[in-house]
Amino acid sequence: MDKLNRIFNPKTLAIIGAKPEEKSVGWGLMKNALQGKSKRRVFAVNPHHKEVLGVKCVPSVMSIQEEVDLAVIAVPAKIVPKVVEECCQKKVGGMIIISSGFGESGKEGKLLEDKIKETARKAGVPLIGPNCLGVIRPGNLLNATFAPALPKSGEIAFISQSGALVDSVIDENFKKNYGFSALISYGNEADVTLADFLWWAVEDPKTKVIALYLEGIKEGREIMNVFSEVSAKKPILAVKAGRSRAGKKAVSSHTGSLAGEYPVYQALFKQTGVAEADTVRELFSSAKALAWQPKCENGIAIVTNGGSCGVLLADYCQELGVKLVELSEETLKKLNKPGVMHPAYSGRNPLDVVGDALSDKYKSAIEALLEQPDIKGLIVVQTLQIMTETEKNAKIIIEAKKKWKDKPIIAAFLGGPITAPGAKILEDNHIPNYGDLKEAALAIKSLIKK
Amino acid sequence: MLYRSSWDIINIMKSLGFKKTEQILSCYGIPLCPSRLTVEKSEALDFAGEIGYPAVLKVSSLEPIHKTDLGLVKTGIKDKKELEEAWDELNKKKIKKEGILVQKQLFGVEVVAGMKRDSQFGPVLMFGLGGIMVELLKDVSFRIAPLKKKDVQEMMKETKGYQLLSGFRSQKAVDLEKLIGIFLSLSELSLNESEIKEVDLNPVIANEKGVWVADPRFILN
Repeated sequence: MDKLNRIFNPKTLAIIGAKPEEKSVGWGLMKNALQGKSKRRVFAVNPHHKEVLGVKCVPSVMSIQEEVDLAVIAVPAKIVPKVVEECCQKKVGGMIIISSGFGESGKEGKLLEDKIKETARKAGVPLIGPNCLGVIRPGNLLNATFAPALPKSGEIAFISQSGALVDSVIDENFKKNYGFSALISYGNEADVTLADFLWWAVEDPKTKVIALYLEGIKEGREIMNVFSEVSAKKPILAVKAGRSRAGKKAVSSHTGSLAGEYPVYQALFKQTGVAEADTVRELFSSAKALAWQPKCENGIAIVTNGGSCGVLLADYCQELGVKLVELSEETLKKLNKPGVMHPAYSGRNPLDVVGDALSDKYKSAIEALLEQPDIKGLIVVQTLQIMTETEKNAKIIIEAKKKWKDKPIIAAFLGGPITAPGAKILEDNHIPNYGDLKEAALAIKSLIKK
Repeated sequence: MLYRSSWDIINIMKSLGFKKTEQILSCYGIPLCPSRLTVEKSEALDFAGEIGYPAVLKVSSLEPIHKTDLGLVKTGIKDKKELEEAWDELNKKKIKKEGILVQKQLFGVEVVAGMKRDSQFGPVLMFGLGGIMVELLKDVSFRIAPLKKKDVQEMMKETKGYQLLSGFRSQKAVDLEKLIGIFLSLSELSLNESEIKEVDLNPVIANEKGVWVADPRFILN
């Protein structure tokens, strides 16, 4: 999807409909655009104003001397066709239409949408939207949206049919450690479609995992092929909204698309290798694991210093089809040497190193398990006793990870502020940590090769 | 497809007649349990004699009806005498029929194979176990055509009723390869024959020796 490259990496950016009034969309777009002024020149286009946030306004995109790579359009729907016309004459690299009042709003809007689509296609200028939030590329300091802020840069491409959801995902990201290669709200897909963004993401070197929020799909048969081909190269996770009767009704009034029959979507995901997440939280907690850890064959081990957590996690693993591997004689021989483990240690998978375990016990356990060839991945659980060495434990995991690069390790350091420093060390080093065992089980499941 | 040319002569009807149904099934290699459609009692008796008892008689109608509910199916017919009685009873039914179907009664697990067309994704296939498993428990699974063998296997394993197919208690496992074959053929059929809007193969009888469609229904556009 080379045609999207100028959009995601613009040297010049024009905000058409930039406005000085605080809290207006045109103001928000301008404010966000200027965050990237070290990377690109930003133009404000508005014939009714002189200046927006210190940038002189020009009356139309035609009056900009330089080439324009990306034009973001936020003007009333009725004026959009004229602006699109001008952008095409100006041969901009791409357009994002934020404005609503198109296909989602009825017949008249649909006509308007068809018109701008035709203009854009004729000129060969890619058009994103209309009725969308825009796109964000944190690594480039590109924020062509009116989202509240720029999230962390990272490996997840979040492609969403909803714009508002993107906004809250960004805010939540401030207290998370994962980051984004791109955030894309694709709106009505008049020209550039979900399929185009998927093709782009699969080629994008920064993207390791694709996270989707979907309501309805427009070209079912095409998407089926795209999902299959893309998911063979990069993992795709998806949350589907409009699963129930109540949800379906809400979808048609929201994006104007049809939610379709949920069992058919379930079949689609299964057949094309797309992993379905139940909630938005699960979407990103699994995406985090896929962004940071390699995939593995089915066969994992659990280390824990709390028997209960081992039991609960084993339950979740079985429910999710994650296999717990039996410990080999060789592994047990290592662990049974005097002084290596607590006398009351479990001697089986889940490996309970017992509550008072210091980090030397964790080290011996983790290494013995990872040395066993048929153990393909590891979950390390830590509950918090007064003697638990949470930071040391975290460092041991990081060292083990360096040695066994191909085996994913995820952590479930359970607790609050006392555990937090350990959790931080883990995540700073890209060991995904989960505060809940079910989340940890779901994360390891997403890492298992089909 | 081989079958395509003969489509032209099909009447515009909601449900496809038995002869055409039989042809399509055979064209796609989907086994039908030994059946003969006839309007003559003597032919019914001859055919039953040929295939052996127990036999089944069913009214064949193009109307969208539920045959069992209307008492249009007679099963467990043990001999010639019972067949004559059953024939007379069904023949009296005041319903528009194309004939009465004589079938060999087969025993095994009842499976449902269905196809419907989704406006976005095209043909979608359904698998379920017959009777209450489908109707009451909704223990069914779906896949979008085209299906690969792996898809069919996964689709079957997804249902709770799968255990009945793979052998449960004293019951032997059914011929899964042949059952998978039916779904692969149905997948191909649904992509080739756009005139067919819906397919309902209900039931398909599966046992350790093979699988046979006992009641096929094709709904036309």
